[in-house]
Amino acid sequence: MADNDNDKLLEHAYDGIQEYDNPLPTWWKWIFYVTILVVPIYYWDPMGIGVGPGKEKAYEEQMAAFSAAHPKTAGTYTDEQVAAFAKDPARVEAGKVVYTTYCVPCHRPDGGGQIGPNLTDDFWIHGGRPTDVMKTVVEGVLAKGMPNWGKMLKPDQVEGVVGYVITLHGTNPANPKAPEGVQAAPDSVPSVSQGAAGPAKKGM
Amino acid sequence: MNARLDSFSYDDEIVRKFLWATMIWGLVGFLIGLIIAIQLPLPGFNAAPYLTFGRLRPLHTNAVIFAFAGNAFFCGAYYSTQRLLKARMWSDALSKVHFWGWQAIIVAAAITLPLGFTQSKEYAELEWPIDIAIAVVWVAFAVNYFVTLTKRRERHIYVAIWFYIASIITVALLHIFNNLSVPAGAFKSYSIYAGVQDAFMQWWYGHNAVAFFLTTPFLGLMYYFMPKAADRPVFSYKLSILHFWSLVFLYIWAGPHHLHYTALPDWASTLGMLFSVMLWMPSWGGMVNGLLTLRGAWHKVTEDPILKFFVVAVTAYGMSTFEGPMLSIKSVNALAHYTDWIIAHVHTGALGWNGFLTFGMVYWLAPRLFQTEIFSKKLMEWHFWLATFGILLYVVAIYSAGATQGLMWRAFDETGRLQYPDFVETVMRLMPMYWVRVMGGTLYITGMLVGIYNLYRTWASRPATYEVPVVQAAPLNPAYTDPHAPATGGLWARFTDMGWHRRWEGMPLFFSVMTAIAVIVASLFEIVPTFLIKSNVPTIASIKPYTPLELAGRNIYQREGCFNCHSQMIRPLMYETERYGDYSKPGESVYEHPFLWGSRRIGPDLARLGGKYPDLWHVRHMYNPREVVQKSIMPAYPHLQTAVIDFAAIQKSVDAMAMIGVPYGDAVNTAPELARAQAAQVAASVEAAGGPKGLADKEIVALTAYLQRLGRDLKNATAGGAR
Repeated sequence: MADNDNDKLLEHAYDGIQEYDNPLPTWWKWIFYVTILVVPIYYWDPMGIGVGPGKEKAYEEQMAAFSAAHPKTAGTYTDEQVAAFAKDPARVEAGKVVYTTYCVPCHRPDGGGQIGPNLTDDFWIHGGRPTDVMKTVVEGVLAKGMPNWGKMLKPDQVEGVVGYVITLHGTNPANPKAPEGVQAAPDSVPSVSQGAAGPAKKGM
Repeated sequence: MNARLDSFSYDDEIVRKFLWATMIWGLVGFLIGLIIAIQLPLPGFNAAPYLTFGRLRPLHTNAVIFAFAGNAFFCGAYYSTQRLLKARMWSDALSKVHFWGWQAIIVAAAITLPLGFTQSKEYAELEWPIDIAIAVVWVAFAVNYFVTLTKRRERHIYVAIWFYIASIITVALLHIFNNLSVPAGAFKSYSIYAGVQDAFMQWWYGHNAVAFFLTTPFLGLMYYFMPKAADRPVFSYKLSILHFWSLVFLYIWAGPHHLHYTALPDWASTLGMLFSVMLWMPSWGGMVNGLLTLRGAWHKVTEDPILKFFVVAVTAYGMSTFEGPMLSIKSVNALAHYTDWIIAHVHTGALGWNGFLTFGMVYWLAPRLFQTEIFSKKLMEWHFWLATFGILLYVVAIYSAGATQGLMWRAFDETGRLQYPDFVETVMRLMPMYWVRVMGGTLYITGMLVGIYNLYRTWASRPATYEVPVVQAAPLNPAYTDPHAPATGGLWARFTDMGWHRRWEGMPLFFSVMTAIAVIVASLFEIVPTFLIKSNVPTIASIKPYTPLELAGRNIYQREGCFNCHSQMIRPLMYETERYGDYSKPGESVYEHPFLWGSRRIGPDLARLGGKYPDLWHVRHMYNPREVVQKSIMPAYPHLQTAVIDFAAIQKSVDAMAMIGVPYGDAVNTAPELARAQAAQVAASVEAAGGPKGLADKEIVALTAYLQRLGRDLKNATAGGAR
């Protein structure tokens, strides 16, 4: 009790509890004033650290600045370039990992199709040229439930998985889903023999 | 002085009852917390359908807030109020109604929440019949309390009583106005508010439930039990006055900080933030008064576990009331919202402030109530240290989890893509921290068990019959005049003299009215513009009500508590729109009774889910999420493929929605038929894709239809097409 014997006690007591007549702590009072002062500073924003233009405007500004800093890399591939992905064993191996994680739930491990179409036959819903396959993966077909994987996967993952999918063509999965889409012209579809480096090669 | 003395005694029997209820429900609430903490890293621990995370999480929060903290407040309030007023509670019968009514409500909650009866508004999940019971029991408590105030034998009311009064009045207001709803069955109702307004009302309620159920009652307890235990005077009467009124007035405004960057209008969000920042010192007033009351008694803290509990409690209060204002700053909130950071924040408050204050109080009360020595001081020390390390493990792990997830969500790589576009990757990263939380929780619960054992042994050595001491005190003298001479000088001098407040303290009912006015005025400043300003919610023409089947699916979404892990509110932040799609607009929620924006993303946002995957994807995903997303931690809902849709109930749902203004048109008469037709379509699409057959009357179809609708209307608007 030594250090505050000088404090003045108020006369009243409640069930034995007494109270000191101490003033408000100075630091407490001043921080309280400062937090009140934050209101005009934030609201009228003379220093540009306050309320700003509102969340929608701020968002649009941010988006504009961001797209200026990150110009869209036009993912222009030729059919030959994409077809070459399927012949690069390292790329196809990496693509298989991506396929196993993201594609298997709908297209099955062997590409035979379930929620999504069969990837091994000659029929393609959204085009069977290598660049078509690339486009379907990157942009997705939201109406059919194919997500736009370009958002989810890095460019090298996309190249790998497209390469891997091309190697699946012409394999013979057990119990495949019935063909859907249009039969592609033979010369437009890379055959497994073209993508011979693919590790998933079966049969043929 | 009045020579005549009244002889009376205090009702301690009711205090003993509340004490046991506190500890037993506390244990239950903590154990459910432990179960749901294990369910996150171990999804197999979800025992569907009744004991999944989505159903147990509300049970955990309700048990800890209303059963544990609620009973602790009542326990301490009944003990201290009688002594501070020198009066027995006015009606023992009403005290008993309060006790047994409250326990019955808790039991009802423990039964109905696992059954999936929920309003899906956080901490207001209980359905309308239970809400009515809560209101009735609360009124019984309030009547008993206010009549006791008028029968007091102590002229002035002490600061603890001010805080109790504020709590009793405000909780009643919050409860009634947030729970207004239209019933659509014995245990189903729809909030009368929709979308933005419902979100506003919910967080006006939710935030102030924290304020007036977990803060002000416990400040009242602190003001009684801490000076008692330390045997020291309270540091500053003036500080009590100032921090009480500023706290009560400012707290009410702060709710919108739970909705930063959502479709809530900016002005409300800004008000919420600024008032939260101003709330810092009023909150800390309580901490200062608590800690400085220990001046000259710090040597006792090292010896007395009760004071140790109090010191940690007040420190935890100080930390979480600093963190609250900080989290309310919009840019900080952008990082923390939807993450575990908020979970860590509330656990600093609940485990530290509410828990430790309760434990200190209970240990102080036990020898007095059971009229014997405490069984073991050593076990009190064990409880203290186990629980302290438990809290530390818990919050360190979960703060890290929150920061980790928040930073991963917003990370872009150098090519301008999301660094972690796969949501499940950000979940996997949290698993070690989730296990540390399980350890922390286990320690805290072990402490609780030690405490309950200690209390049991203390109780076991009670006397055969409790002594009931007779107290004597003079009744209030009606001829009393205030001896305090009014201060001379200007307005400011009279204000700072505080003589006016001293007079208010002598008029408890007037004091209560002033408190109510402070709370109501502050509320109306925000509520009125939220409901009246049309530009808050610009209309979007393409937004249509849910079809009857989708509404049934939404009922299932609510029942399973999906909103506990999934938000439906994309913020206008680059990394959110990049991940989920266009940000959510206020006009999208106009038919959302109640709003289902969510507050936490244990799983990804669903606002733009519709059309992202085929129907069969949802059917398989709900059956077993890990079939489709390998590392998902979502519970499996296989029973949705066998449970049959209650088509008759759909009509009731549609009618209730129509009654609160959702334009259902013809569906008001033909809801079941419309639902059956749409269900057949969805089932056919699933079957055609090679999925399971015969789902046309199963709940999974309704849920799928609902999920496929999410965000569709806005896409149609931008595409210019009609649905």
